[in-house]
Amino acid sequence: MFLTRSEYDRGVNTFSPEGRLFQVEYAIEAIKLGSTTVGVRTNEGVVLAVEKRVQSPLLESSSIEKIMEIDTHLGCAMSGLTADARMMIDHARVTAQNHAFTYDERIKVESVTQAVCDLALRFGESVHDEEALMSRPFGVALLIAGIDELGPQLYHTDPSGTFMRYEAKAIGSGSEAAQSELQDKWYRRMSLLEAQKLTLRVLKQVMEEKLDHHNVQLAQVTPEKGFEILDEVRLKEIIDAM
Amino acid sequence: MSSFNPYTQNGGTILAIAGADFSVVAGDTRQSEGYNIQTRYAPKVFRLTDRAVLAVNGFAADGNMFVKKVKQRLEWYRHAHAKDMPLRSIARLIQTMLYSRRFFPYYVYNILGGIEEDGSGAVYSFDPVGSYERETCRAAGPAQSLLQPFLDNQIYFKNQQPAPGMSHPTHLPLQAVLALVIDSFTSATERHIEVGDGLEMYIILGKGRGLQGLEGVKGVQELTISEDGERIFVVRRELKKD
Amino acid sequence: MECGVRCPRRRRVRPFCTQTAMYRGPGFDFSNSLRNDFLQHKGVALPKATSTGTTIVGCIFKDGIILGADTRATEGEIVADKNCEKIHYIAESIRCCGAGTAADTEFVTAAISSNIELHALSTGRKPRVVAAMTMLKQYLFQYQGHVGAALVLGGVDSTGAHLFTVHPHGSTDKLPYVTMGSGSLAAMAVFENGWKPNMEVGRQPLSPALPSWYSNDNVRPAVQREEALKLVCDAVAAGIFNDLGSGSNIDACVITATHTEMLRNFVKPNERVAKELKYGFRHGTTAIKSEHIRSLVVSEEITPIRGEAMDVS
Repeated sequence: MFLTRSEYDRGVNTFSPEGRLFQVEYAIEAIKLGSTTVGVRTNEGVVLAVEKRVQSPLLESSSIEKIMEIDTHLGCAMSGLTADARMMIDHARVTAQNHAFTYDERIKVESVTQAVCDLALRFGESVHDEEALMSRPFGVALLIAGIDELGPQLYHTDPSGTFMRYEAKAIGSGSEAAQSELQDKWYRRMSLLEAQKLTLRVLKQVMEEKLDHHNVQLAQVTPEKGFEILDEVRLKEIIDAM
Repeated sequence: MSSFNPYTQNGGTILAIAGADFSVVAGDTRQSEGYNIQTRYAPKVFRLTDRAVLAVNGFAADGNMFVKKVKQRLEWYRHAHAKDMPLRSIARLIQTMLYSRRFFPYYVYNILGGIEEDGSGAVYSFDPVGSYERETCRAAGPAQSLLQPFLDNQIYFKNQQPAPGMSHPTHLPLQAVLALVIDSFTSATERHIEVGDGLEMYIILGKGRGLQGLEGVKGVQELTISEDGERIFVVRRELKKD
Repeated sequence: MECGVRCPRRRRVRPFCTQTAMYRGPGFDFSNSLRNDFLQHKGVALPKATSTGTTIVGCIFKDGIILGADTRATEGEIVADKNCEKIHYIAESIRCCGAGTAADTEFVTAAISSNIELHALSTGRKPRVVAAMTMLKQYLFQYQGHVGAALVLGGVDSTGAHLFTVHPHGSTDKLPYVTMGSGSLAAMAVFENGWKPNMEVGRQPLSPALPSWYSNDNVRPAVQREEALKLVCDAVAAGIFNDLGSGSNIDACVITATHTEMLRNFVKPNERVAKELKYGFRHGTTAIKSEHIRSLVVSEEITPIRGEAMDVS
């Protein structure tokens, strides 16, 4: 579809005659090159899993950070140009802390997601009142997982600034196959453990290398313990149990 | 040479008492400056939400403006987070709003009363720069020194030994609380020149609590619309006008 | 540290001396004033004098003088006395309302009252209002305004009915109607609207425009419902309801050539309503921390006394 390059796809702020912002759409394409990331929501909590994509055996796999904590009750996983995500995650963290400071309560998952998406359109040239944050759109999509008074929730954000809530979502290079697998296997009353197994199975299917506890990372948010990234021991247990 | 003083004192007194599942917030309606009465009816107690009532006392111009700003923030929050602000969040918000003017303060003593998220009656009292604390009862304003010891004796049963084998109740019923509030204000009116003219009492009842304690009270006006959820009533009484 | 001023003739040390040698001659001793200034400089606040906030009024009518006053005494913003008497006795047909510092008005009116009585005995004549006025102003002037008494002096004497105001610094005015105190502006507004010469103390029926608290049982039949008395009460009422320094009840005093009638609490528009609850305390409410019982009778011995009974005739 993008093989035909038109003269409207260079300017970051230029609409095409059909009403498309090509740069934003190209940014969404960039995510399809990223490592696969999967998120599944259950009544017991939300599970996030990422393919670490260790390019070389000399690469220290523990240094790859693709899942990050936003607050004790919120975390997120990223796919695409992961460096772009640092800005978004920092903004999410500051927003969550400001909210807790001002209102003495934990911020809602949807509210923090909205705050992150408010950053998406702040690219291009600065206007008189508003500073542009960056020169180009973000090249990363996030899966934000959290728990608030409405229960466990999972949201997906993309460079256009749209967010949507999902029961289960896969993003990145293997997302197409992963998503259809999720659609097949996900059911409403899934337990947390079953969700963990499902995400790992889905990753296993779409990953090129053999899945082990070095090239994937698993995280979860639960009402009892909040957000936690599972350590090597527990990850190994779950992988072995698969 | 005397320079412009941005502050003045407008007299009056406010009081709030928390019950087990209700709260009462009251204030006289006289506004004065020096020996002059500016008006016999200037409300000092305002409804913020269906479960929160704010009383402001000190410099009336700052008090009225502060209430407007708090109401604006509440509306903002409602649109951003799709829910009413819980009472303890309103308390925390008031702190941050007051402290943001640390070096040119709102010259007001605030008392916030209402129903907490867990259904219990709550009273929060503030100083002009935002120090706050949750309490069972608090009086503020020129007649504070007349009322607080009386309340300490009648609500907290200070300096009173219980009958042998018995203990003092932790919360009083609504009827007793209303009577104490009325007697507090008639007594303060007797001995303080800045208190008088009229009394306005706001009664906030918890969800599903029913109207017991309000039967036989004359001139009760409801401010809330529906019967499910918290309910707010106003009762007005005359006070001496000399 | 003691310092003795040795008197050359008698070898005795004078009991004390102040930092600065003050000439303790006649007139006010201002050494306390020095001490108070020093304390204030150190941050110790002066105690608040009880002031009578106050609305006091006086007016001349056809047959004499009517004086009026409220009954509230304040200490800052606190009401110290809800029903104090502000119309003071000077002589049988002379009365004085006092505003300002309560102690000062009490003292100065009592002092001048005594001196007027002595003066009357000395002259063999009934006292005149101008005499009281002159004594008051000379006293107050001597104290240069430090005696905070603002007075409305009125009475009937052999030369007729007279009404004066006396200010703390000693100035006086002679007028047909006067008001003093923090409520004086409110009261004067009423007077300026309603006063006219030769008002009656007649027996006119109550006008329907009177407020509801006006018709109460305390109204005495002798001076019921007169034009002038009503004006005076309205003036004091204006002060009571519009000035925070004045309040509670209205006292009045009607002085004529033949008769002076003191109308204490003539109108009571501010009675306290019944309280909602009863505030009694159970026996045992106050905690007893320790108890120690001692008999005060150490030893008792009864000795009957023989002989005659005491003569108490």
